[in-house]
Amino acid sequence: MPHPGWAGFSFDGIGTRWEISTPSPLSGAHRRRLLDTVADYDAAWSRFRPDSLIAGAARQPGRYELPAGAAALGPLYETLYRLTGGAMTPLIGGSLEHLGYDAGYSLRPGGPPLAAPPWDEVLDWRGTVLTTRAPVVIDVGAAGKGQLADLLSAVLREGGVGEHLIDASGDLLNAGTAPVDVGLEHPYDPARAIGIVSLGTGALCASAANRRAWGDGLHHVLDGTTGAPVRTVVASWAMAASAMTADALATALFFVDGFALQQEFDCSWLTVYSDGHAEYSADFEGVLFS
Amino acid sequence: MNTSLRKSVIVGIAGLSLAGSAAGCAPGQASGPQDTGAASSAAPSAATGGGSYQDGTYSADGNYVSPNGNETVGVELTLAGGAVTGVKITEHPSNPNTRKFQGEFAGGIQSQIVGKQLDEIKVSKVAGSSLTSGGFNQAVEKIKSEAQA
Repeated sequence: MPHPGWAGFSFDGIGTRWEISTPSPLSGAHRRRLLDTVADYDAAWSRFRPDSLIAGAARQPGRYELPAGAAALGPLYETLYRLTGGAMTPLIGGSLEHLGYDAGYSLRPGGPPLAAPPWDEVLDWRGTVLTTRAPVVIDVGAAGKGQLADLLSAVLREGGVGEHLIDASGDLLNAGTAPVDVGLEHPYDPARAIGIVSLGTGALCASAANRRAWGDGLHHVLDGTTGAPVRTVVASWAMAASAMTADALATALFFVDGFALQQEFDCSWLTVYSDGHAEYSADFEGVLFS
Repeated sequence: MNTSLRKSVIVGIAGLSLAGSAAGCAPGQASGPQDTGAASSAAPSAATGGGSYQDGTYSADGNYVSPNGNETVGVELTLAGGAVTGVKITEHPSNPNTRKFQGEFAGGIQSQIVGKQLDEIKVSKVAGSSLTSGGFNQAVEKIKSEAQA
């Protein structure tokens, strides 16, 4: 628990483990609302479910109406698509499937990497409506987990539980007033940390190439312009007010300097490269062990 | 001899050595023993130039295996009077890491990350991606066992 005496509520959702910590145990009604929110998100966005809203876009072009959260995801992805020169894209799903990260977890590449289709050729994303001109596999995995954390936080606030900490398997949203000391997982060894950062109110999200990796340099962070795994950054962390933004920026750090992201986002960042060196913004100064 | 220069040279080489050793600790390989302690063994060898070396500039490429494949880093040393008077990390244009590594030891850069055991530090939460879905991890295990069969 982040604070002594707090209670935890753990569950599985959108393919990962969640733990929500609160000063006192959550009621059954609170828990049901949280789980319903998770189920709704999964039913809309999962590319692993044939019955999800977004799965239809993989079968045929058309007009797809998504839940309210889509109105925030779209502009975020558009900004990062631009900043990364197309490398970070919600159209990456087909490239992931092609390399074996598919619904059946085949984890076997179907050939050389396949670039994602250019956004303006196949996708028009306005508010909550996605209009596609070709079958496309949409994957909002770079920001979806963070957005769901934000949605769960909103559910708790509306339910009168203002103080809470949401841990989505290493992506954290602290809605409490007390800061939490957080270890930064070593990119090559999950039993170690490379530093400790104090997380005040806000989100801290991580992205790493060491997990969701399936051999021969294949992992889940793909460059949309080539469809191949990114090879120079091995781990990244981003802090922002919302978990959706922090989650997306952690992935964006695999493609662009944190300094470029700071031009457009109110954020802090830390990037570890495959040669073992690290770069970071001012808020991560003194955080790393030396 | 310029001691401050010499000190910076040693620090630079120590950082480089660690870069190779820590990066060599790739997923799937044994971790732990490989990624600690290399700095202390590398620094003395640079410091003990006893005068038996010829003055001049020496260069060599080093290779190490990072989790993402082979990487090459070039090192150029200048010796004068038996001591290292200059060190240069040679830029390999094809390698953005090396480009980052060169000349960017200013603020906001740490030349090498250092790990500490989680049970040695006091944190209640860890930010990272160690916990992934059971399905994904099971699939990886299955492929591993099939590959061994």
